[in-house]
Amino acid sequence: MLKDTFKTRLEIAKNKLLKKNLYNGKEPASSIGTAFKMSTELVSAVAVGTIIGFILDKTFGTKPWLILIFFFVGVIAGIVNVFKSAKNMQK
Amino acid sequence: MATNPMHQFEVYRIGPEIKIGTIDISFTNASLFMVISSLAILLIFNLGSKKNSLLPDKIQLLAELSYTFVAKMISDTAGSKAKPYFAFIFSLFMFVLFCNMFGMIPYTFTVTSHIIVTFILASFIFVGVTIIGFMKHGLGYLKLFVPSGVPAILLPLIIVIEVISYLSRPISLSVRLFANMMAGHTMMKVFGGFVISLGIVGGWLPLSFSVALTGLEILVAFLQAYVFAILTCIYLNDALNLHH
Repeated sequence: MLKDTFKTRLEIAKNKLLKKNLYNGKEPASSIGTAFKMSTELVSAVAVGTIIGFILDKTFGTKPWLILIFFFVGVIAGIVNVFKSAKNMQK
Repeated sequence: MATNPMHQFEVYRIGPEIKIGTIDISFTNASLFMVISSLAILLIFNLGSKKNSLLPDKIQLLAELSYTFVAKMISDTAGSKAKPYFAFIFSLFMFVLFCNMFGMIPYTFTVTSHIIVTFILASFIFVGVTIIGFMKHGLGYLKLFVPSGVPAILLPLIIVIEVISYLSRPISLSVRLFANMMAGHTMMKVFGGFVISLGIVGGWLPLSFSVALTGLEILVAFLQAYVFAILTCIYLNDALNLHH
């Protein structure tokens, strides 16, 4: 008797687990996480681009130019990053 | 001193000073809390896996729930090929989660609120994932930087952009966790300071804010550990399956 009710409860719980897709049944809390994820992706690419430009400038002695170019390339890379993760989220 | 909201992030030495060459490797409060969280994880999972009863007690339930949670997360994001890396992702998730959660106890130290800790974790993941990618695909892994269907004139620019976007991964991963933890703990401290300075008359409003913030911070502590682990899965998926 006790075993039977346990089995049916297990079955129900299993079905629930199968039905619920962890991704699509998103709770509103995790949208804070995704929003923050997007913004850091944008900023970090700009930072990496600027650092690369700075290092290249130092090694080649072309003071302001490479850092300017790589800053803007970093901005583009950041936008590409955000674009990609937005695409990933829609899947 | 006690009202300074940044005071809680101070790292200080516990016990004697140990030096190798010029590098200071003394035991600090940060190391203490890393040891405490690792020991807590070991303890819980040892107790949880000791007796495998069909009807689990609380600790076993906790261990089993976290196992299935991480296993599901990996199979959802990175597919069945990522199964061998379960142990790594599981311990990573548990470590970050426990460090975050231990930081929520008053008078403790939050290890993950220091960028060097999160950056080391993130760069381990970055280097590891890159090595896995090259091991699985050889030089073909470099195809990750060349999206299909791009005209040849644009190719140099696209490759530079893709490389920068790839290199920005460890930075965005580490800054996210660090900034969330640090901002949250500073906010809690500031509101706690308001309670003291406004006294018994006006202190009730910031006190209620503090209570709400504590709830939010526990949520953020869990969420950031989850995001950290899930992004590791996503990077692993890129390395294993090579498409985007």
